[in-house]
Amino acid sequence: MDFDFTDGERAFAEEVRGFLHANPPETFAVDGMDAGYGSGANSRAFLRALGAQGWLSMCWPKTHGGREAPMFMKLVLMEELALAGAPFGPLAGVWQTADAIIDFGTERLRRELLPAIARGEATFWQGYSEPDAGSDLLALKTEARRDGEHYVIRGHKIWSSHAGIATHGLVFARTSREARRSRGFSMFVVANGTPGMDIRPIRSLTGEVYHHEVFLDEVRVSAELMLGPEGDGFQALLNGLDADRFWGRFYKAPALERVLRQLVSYANTTEVRGVPLARDPGVRRRLAAIAADIAALRLIFYRAGCLIRDGAPLTYETAMAKVYADETGQKLARLGMDLLGVWGPLREGSRWAKLGGQISHLYLTTLGHTIAGGTAEILRSSVAVRGLGLPAEPKVAVESRR
Amino acid sequence: MDFRPSPAQQILISTARAFLRQHCSPELVQRLALDAHGFDETLWRRMAELGWPGLLIPLELGGSEGSLLDVILLTEEMGRVALPAPFVPSAVVATSLVLAAGSPAQQKRLLPALAAGERVATLALVEETGSFDLDGVTLECAVPGRLTGRKLFVRDAHIADDLIVAVRVGADLSLILLPTDQPGIAWLPLDTISGEKVFEVTFEGVDVRPEDLLGCAGGAADILASALRAGALARTAEMVGGAQRIVELAVEHAKTRVQGGRPIGGYQAIQHACADLVRDVDASRALLYAAAWRVCEGRPAEADVALAKAYAGEACLTAARRGHQIFGAISYCEEHPLHLVHKRIQAAGLEFGDSSHHLETVARAIGLAS
Repeated sequence: MDFDFTDGERAFAEEVRGFLHANPPETFAVDGMDAGYGSGANSRAFLRALGAQGWLSMCWPKTHGGREAPMFMKLVLMEELALAGAPFGPLAGVWQTADAIIDFGTERLRRELLPAIARGEATFWQGYSEPDAGSDLLALKTEARRDGEHYVIRGHKIWSSHAGIATHGLVFARTSREARRSRGFSMFVVANGTPGMDIRPIRSLTGEVYHHEVFLDEVRVSAELMLGPEGDGFQALLNGLDADRFWGRFYKAPALERVLRQLVSYANTTEVRGVPLARDPGVRRRLAAIAADIAALRLIFYRAGCLIRDGAPLTYETAMAKVYADETGQKLARLGMDLLGVWGPLREGSRWAKLGGQISHLYLTTLGHTIAGGTAEILRSSVAVRGLGLPAEPKVAVESRR
Repeated sequence: MDFRPSPAQQILISTARAFLRQHCSPELVQRLALDAHGFDETLWRRMAELGWPGLLIPLELGGSEGSLLDVILLTEEMGRVALPAPFVPSAVVATSLVLAAGSPAQQKRLLPALAAGERVATLALVEETGSFDLDGVTLECAVPGRLTGRKLFVRDAHIADDLIVAVRVGADLSLILLPTDQPGIAWLPLDTISGEKVFEVTFEGVDVRPEDLLGCAGGAADILASALRAGALARTAEMVGGAQRIVELAVEHAKTRVQGGRPIGGYQAIQHACADLVRDVDASRALLYAAAWRVCEGRPAEADVALAKAYAGEACLTAARRGHQIFGAISYCEEHPLHLVHKRIQAAGLEFGDSSHHLETVARAIGLAS
């Protein structure tokens, strides 16, 4: 066993801290809201700055312009960025899309997109969910019809994060009607602005825009823009979900650690009825208990990271870790609101707002986390069925639903 | 970073699991829990033949010179079966104290016998406040002099050959090593739901000589704190092992118990309860290993040990209680093994500091002003 970083990992962490010191995160322009996951706001300028460091492509094969750095360097980078509250919103999605393009992409996708990704210029929205296909993703209706060297996509996607400020969509669509339910799906990389694509913002309960719905009306894309195997896209998507949950939540523990430090400082400097909040036994107990949760969460993610690094099979680990991350975030946000009392609901920028008004924002954004990217219910069932071997709930036949 | 036990540790784990499966059945655990003496000498001797009580003791003193991490992996296996034995009080806590504070003569006299399982030693620390805080030690004793007073929650005092008694000397603490057959020492059983053997030990004018001091007079606080951390980790390992066993039992039950025409594990209510069991155990184990590793590496680990014990104390007990709900009525029976593991987790969560004790340590470590 070894619970420490290697010398190389420590040196890289130091390098990242040096970069953040020289380039204070708060000086970068923000393009899209911080959704509370821990990756901060969406800042195109910050992503380009990461690209200029060579950090977006550092783990890629040399043949694709990378330098084959070990995968753990990505964890080190994310942890440092999250601890600093940097606006690296699109980073995880960009890394995953690049990996998929390197693994399954056509020559054209590699040629056109990898250099742009490496520079921090290309970002992606996920076109998976549909109005009638949420937890039941296989119920999706978007179709891609083959037409010579092209596909023509028709459908309606929803809950696509930051679609309005991204450069490309990853659109999941049915490419064959004959195949059985889980077959016949494929993924397409569709540039924003392609004729027939209409991206409309959905204002969230935070008052800001994070999600979008996307109408695809006879959107014509080259067959070279298909990502992954034709007709087997669902399996590829499922396989990708383990990674999705891992990379999409890895930075939550350090981000929550950052919030915890702020709450500790608040408790130390705030008096209630003449007594520092920090001396209230209930406050002490709750803050200490959530510190234990955050420490456990961090280790659970590092354990999953080791499995991924070592190429070991994953069954339940990332599903479990995602639920734990999201529920811990909700717990911390709730605790923060309790500590702040009447000041809690004040928004960022408001007179009298405490801790920059970010706790009220966290309180609202974390509400969505146990829903997005697989609900806590779906994921607990996944832990039970895939991880523990319990029998899946019987599927109710479509006919009997009507 | 690497979360896996080494190949040698994996052998230790598999050997222990096979041995305990064969020699420590739920029936034996139940019988010993109900029996006032509750000590299986044959089992203890067999454990000694495997070198377990000497795991922390150097080779030249008859031990097998393992690490605290080895001890943790072994106690995790013991927790799986709720093994009734004086391993944690004697082979972990008392042995740590003798190793850290004993004179060469004391070490030579005690450690080979402790390693061979021929002697059992135990710590007498807690007093009427019920606290594992060192501030809770008020029993005074001049050395040389006479010791009069009492200690509570002393594990396995009835089979111990030696008692290590924590006493106060003004602002400081000392440790006194007393053979249990010394005149004036008596023990009264405390009847507890876990079936673990814990005692009130009374001292009536017990003669204490300078050579009975373990370590220097007034210098025991740090040594005690370190041994209590080892004890806390070992008790955490018992909880983790017990909770892991509950996961396995509950999942097996959920796969085979049929109600409403299908296994109950096919219902979401049971699936989600099982998923939470796994999280509780995995998270507890990760904190445990990380804390034990830090101790082994000689790094500051006070907060890590406190985190691990506080977390497991809550999570593993929750897992145990959830286990009963998954099993339903059958687990309410004495002959069902679940309650044995549950009660062990309950007891382990309290010894060497309960969750609120350790959360206070965490509260200070995260910077909350006191």
